[in-house]
Amino acid sequence: MTVEMQTDQDIKKYAQQVDEPQWFTSMRLKAQQEVEDLTLPNFQKIQYHSWPINATRKLEVGDHRLTDEKLVTEQANIVQIGSKVIQKDLPQEFMDKGVIVCDWATALKKHSELVEKYFMTMATEPTENRLNAEHVAHLTSGLLIYVPKNVILKHPLTSYFFQDARQSRDYVHHLLLIADRGSEVSYLENTGTIGTKPCPANIIEEVIAEPDSHIKFASVDRLGENTTAYLNRRGYLKRNARIDWSMGMMNDGNIVGDFDSELVGEASHAEVKVVAISTGDQVQGIDTRVTNYGQHSLGNILQHGVILARSSLIFNGIGHIIHGARGAEAQQESRVLMLSTKARGDANPILLIDDNDVVAGHAASVGRVDEQKMYYLMSRGVDKKTAERLVIRGFLGPVLSALPSKEVRKVLADMIERKLVNGQKDE
Amino acid sequence: MATLEVKDLHVKAKEEEKEILTGVNLKMTTGEIHAIMGPNGTGKSTLSETIMGNPNYEVLKGDILINGQSIIGLPVDQRARAGLFLAMQYPAEIPGITNAEFIRAAINSRRAEDDQMPIPAFLKKLDHTLKTLDMTEEMSERYLNEGFSGGEKKRNEILQLMMIEPKFAILDEIDSGLDIDALKVVSRGVNAMRGPKFGSLIITHYQRLLNYIKPDVVHVMMGGKIVKSGDAELAVKLEDEGYAGLRDELGLDVKLVDEE
Ligand SMILES: Nc1ncnc2c1ncn2[C@@H]1O[C@H](COP(=O)(O)OP(=O)(O)O)[C@@H](O)[C@H]1O
Ligand SMILES: [Mg+2]
Repeated sequence: MTVEMQTDQDIKKYAQQVDEPQWFTSMRLKAQQEVEDLTLPNFQKIQYHSWPINATRKLEVGDHRLTDEKLVTEQANIVQIGSKVIQKDLPQEFMDKGVIVCDWATALKKHSELVEKYFMTMATEPTENRLNAEHVAHLTSGLLIYVPKNVILKHPLTSYFFQDARQSRDYVHHLLLIADRGSEVSYLENTGTIGTKPCPANIIEEVIAEPDSHIKFASVDRLGENTTAYLNRRGYLKRNARIDWSMGMMNDGNIVGDFDSELVGEASHAEVKVVAISTGDQVQGIDTRVTNYGQHSLGNILQHGVILARSSLIFNGIGHIIHGARGAEAQQESRVLMLSTKARGDANPILLIDDNDVVAGHAASVGRVDEQKMYYLMSRGVDKKTAERLVIRGFLGPVLSALPSKEVRKVLADMIERKLVNGQKDE
Repeated sequence: MATLEVKDLHVKAKEEEKEILTGVNLKMTTGEIHAIMGPNGTGKSTLSETIMGNPNYEVLKGDILINGQSIIGLPVDQRARAGLFLAMQYPAEIPGITNAEFIRAAINSRRAEDDQMPIPAFLKKLDHTLKTLDMTEEMSERYLNEGFSGGEKKRNEILQLMMIEPKFAILDEIDSGLDIDALKVVSRGVNAMRGPKFGSLIITHYQRLLNYIKPDVVHVMMGGKIVKSGDAELAVKLEDEGYAGLRDELGLDVKLVDEE
């Protein structure tokens, strides 16, 4: 496949069309120049370099009209297809308290300064690797969420992001979530795909926790079977801030997930919970890192995954404590359970400790379903597949029960069941 | 009326060479309670596990039939749905699923998709059964066997038995590790199941349990086969004379693991 490269002229043309601010266009042009010189990010044991993961197509204003798909039945505050918002229904409280929730075009137009301050300036950078640079050069959709100082939100915000793969196009999507000083917000994100064309997805999500803020970030990712995805979620935590990540990797295609928390501020705290299920022939590589810069910062990683059929799941857990982060703590546990002999799984704990006065620990395991348990369950009459799902539920239980929200627990449990039932058809 | 029949059953463990069961014959019908007594290591658990369909055992010869139909080719879950239940000597612990949830899944596995047991009916039955077994509601909400004491696990096996209502229940040393009060409770449960639609094969090392659950037939197993059958009196006699006595009386060449 030869794709005509995107030129500077293409970027300028698009910028004019959507009327984006000059600073953003300059950033794009700079990123585009860097793309060729940058390499793909490396993640241990995750081999994805030959995947069709690169965003290459020229920027265009997509037409994301819906024909007859019923996309959302559950309560959703924001639904986006490609770059287009098709549903926006915010809790009254958000309006009353001056919370900003808007799509990317609006964010650039109306909140340019805010975006300029935070967009890939702290949590990650355009030139960090090739996929990041492609992201900036090809970005067409996204969402900005800003919670003002000291605003405590009672209602969670639920979003749905659908990649539009009804035509071949790159899905390049950005989330910028900022919780300003002393604020609290709970956010539940659902990603998915409509259409079946093989397409890359390049999603970068920055979650900025200003001092004393608290963010509960939950996600259920269900990108399609023919999507090849780079999903980069970055938390940037200032003094005394906290992020609770709860992520369900329920995608059907190949994906690299890079989930990092930069514990910059003193006593900042990240809890990272991941459950993943791989089915069919897919590969899911998940690289979860906490980096302690701040003194007395705390990062905990807990990730459990299940592998069916001929699929693969790789969990890297990285605890990095920077010199000077006295009293910091990094803990991690990664476990995978394989249900078939053709499944491939890995759980790699990686500890990089540059300071003495710290606490760090890790646990990792790769195992198979316990035959004794299966026999016991089946001896009461439940069939093999149901018994497997029960054992899996038990295996994922420690992560699910540690999630901070009951709603999220329920949503995830349902998704897990669904993905497992589907995956088992292919055993 | 249903029948369970074991014919000239020869069995070995999957990874081993040696025959453990060397030709077991047994026939029972619903409405009856049979006891199997025998010294340690004689193959009682092997017999129960093989009837249930534990994949660790391999049938070398013989057959197992329910109502004249061989079940030897069936996996364990199908045997369960055909009416078999095994209260295991060492029940597995399964975190993440509660007792109540599991029992409901087990009951519903026997029913059609559009005829699942309604929750109120289930809860009512569960409540009643818990009471019979002196169990608290809290125990039904705990994860399946997780962290249960030996005695609690045994009670929990009987709870499942009573909820599922199988045609034939094999109880493998349900009395081991139970004090006298727990023994009475467990026996009360089994006796409550007694009736024309239920048969039970009670495996025990000691006669004591049979004071509480009166068997119709007693079999003695030694050296991997049944060497003598009789009525309840046989158990009493065995208690007095010991396995060694019976062995010598029958002139058997069997070595007892723990001569008593
Ligand atoms: N899974 C197994 N693998 C190997 N040997 C076994 C296995 N199960 C039973 N055996 C052996 O078979 C014999 C009978 O054991 P078992 O059936 O447990 O006896 P009982 O229940 O009468 O005490 C013992 O010698 C035991 O070691
Ligand atoms: Mg035994």
